[in-house]
Amino acid sequence: MRRRWGLQARLALGLGLALTLVWLGTAVLTALSLRHEMEEVFDSSLEETAQRLLPLAVLEITNREAGDGDQHLAPIRAHPELLTYVVRDDAGGLLMRSHAADPAAFPDWTGPGFAQNATHRFYSEDTLQGSIRLTVAEPLAQRQQAVGEILMRQILPLALMIPLTLAIVGLSVALGLSGLRRFRGRLASREARDLSPVPVSDLPAELQTVGETLNDLLARLDAAFEAERSFAANAAHELRTPLAGAIAQIQRLKQETQEAPVVARAVAIEETLKRLTRLSERLLQLARAEGGKLRVDQPGDLRPVARLLVDDLGRNAAGRLVLSLPEAPVLSRLDPDAFGIVLRNLIENALRHGTPGAPVQVVLTEAAALTVANPGPVVAPEVLARLTDRFARASTGDGSGLGLAIVAAIAGRIGGRLVLSSPRPGHADGFEARITLSGDG
Amino acid sequence: MRILLIEDDTVLGAALRDQVAGDGHSIDWVTRLDAAEDAMATAAHELVLLDLMLPDGRGIPFLKRLRARGSVVPVIILTALDQVSDRIEGLNAGADDYLVKPFDLGELSARIGAVARRYSGNPNPILSHGDLDIDLAARSILRAGKPVTLTAREWALFEAFLARRGQLLSKTQLEDTLYAFDTEVESNTIEVHVSRLRKKLGAGVIVTERGLGYRLGAA
Repeated sequence: MRRRWGLQARLALGLGLALTLVWLGTAVLTALSLRHEMEEVFDSSLEETAQRLLPLAVLEITNREAGDGDQHLAPIRAHPELLTYVVRDDAGGLLMRSHAADPAAFPDWTGPGFAQNATHRFYSEDTLQGSIRLTVAEPLAQRQQAVGEILMRQILPLALMIPLTLAIVGLSVALGLSGLRRFRGRLASREARDLSPVPVSDLPAELQTVGETLNDLLARLDAAFEAERSFAANAAHELRTPLAGAIAQIQRLKQETQEAPVVARAVAIEETLKRLTRLSERLLQLARAEGGKLRVDQPGDLRPVARLLVDDLGRNAAGRLVLSLPEAPVLSRLDPDAFGIVLRNLIENALRHGTPGAPVQVVLTEAAALTVANPGPVVAPEVLARLTDRFARASTGDGSGLGLAIVAAIAGRIGGRLVLSSPRPGHADGFEARITLSGDG
Repeated sequence: MRILLIEDDTVLGAALRDQVAGDGHSIDWVTRLDAAEDAMATAAHELVLLDLMLPDGRGIPFLKRLRARGSVVPVIILTALDQVSDRIEGLNAGADDYLVKPFDLGELSARIGAVARRYSGNPNPILSHGDLDIDLAARSILRAGKPVTLTAREWALFEAFLARRGQLLSKTQLEDTLYAFDTEVESNTIEVHVSRLRKKLGAGVIVTERGLGYRLGAA
């Protein structure tokens, strides 16, 4: 998956990059114009030097006895020369040069004015109808060093300022988005089914609307769930009572009549009603498993529920249920009715599909792990994997095909897990369902 | 046995009433809790069948009030399958047993018999009395090894005597056991049933205390 950049990183990076580019751009522009200005200053002083030097050279040369030729001016005292010059006649003959001047480094005469080669910048001036020609040379390295030094002085503070700016940008972005981060934290730390409103009063104005819309949505969702819950509870009662009435009446009819065909019909109707009852019970359980409240505020002991259900289901299964409970209370925030639904479905499955007459082990541990295991035929892995699907049956039996789907739905909602194994661990046959039910997840 | 049924669904209630009455008990059927309070104030019921959701309130607070008043009448609650919490709450509030709706009427009769036997002090449904071998759960009776058939009314009457061995039972008490409020009782009905029991089970099985009532004869 492509990594998604957070808003904070994006803002900090974008702002930092833009600021850095602006700073650098400004620095480059300043450097360029500075360099231009400095070139002009250097050129002007080179020109000035030449013009001041030329009359002196003319005076020197005309006063000199003829035939002296090249005059190499000895230094007044030894010093490094920045500026060098040569004085030549119109034939290119050398008349005079400064003590460090290398005549070969000077270009041929091209007329007065500025000229430049790879290493030096020159200024030439002539006089006496071009018979005396002065060329002053200034090494380019000198200029570059000067410009470089000035540029460095400008850039060095920048090198310090840019990281500082970036840090400030990062900090203020983080500070500005802290409301958003808190909001995200609050959302992330909520339980999956928590529909209470999120506090929005400390959100930045831009996010206030988002938060309020979210809260509005949560409230509507909560109301919808609540309606679904009370519908499931009411529907359960409303559906069950008439069914119970109809079944009771048909049983009375069966007892009161002596006519065999009527009894047969009554039996058929009773069977249908009972099937309808079982199916509606399962559908209501499923509705409850998926939409209803599965958690109670105060943790309660699951053991009485287990005892009651094992007692209840054991009435029609003569001694087949073997219940094992820990000494200490098994505290859980799981709704006892939801636990009852889980336990009832697992036990009914075990009684229905296990070896007839063989014991069914029901074990509840202190850590609220419930195991229901029975001997019986091994369930093929591909069937096992589908057993928690709705209306999936291991065999064509009288089950509704919803039992394990209901248990899996409850397990999923409370952060537990339903693990089905066949053969059961440690045996060659049978089936085991194991589920963790702490109800805190 | 005189039984109070508190159930607001008329179809289910009618079937329950017919079943309980068919077993020979007298049954008063009310559909509201306030009517149940009235009924319990006017007659001594020996068992209550209590639905947990009534139009004027829930059954469990009613049961708690009943127990708070010191009543020890056996109570069977009628509850929905998945309301395990209600069942536990009901049992903790003093219910003796529960039936999960929808239930088989045969199951209802069996539970009523079992609870009643527990209250009479002997939960064992197999009794013997003189030359009689009695199975209260199966409602079968052998006299000197030979089966005897009793009608539902005769059973209910005989059970009332067995439940209170040695106690004197007045004619009114016995009428209450067999008939509900709104039933017209012929003045000699109890005498008729007692004489039939004597004919079937032996002349000494029920002793008449003239002017006072009847009691179970010595074995």
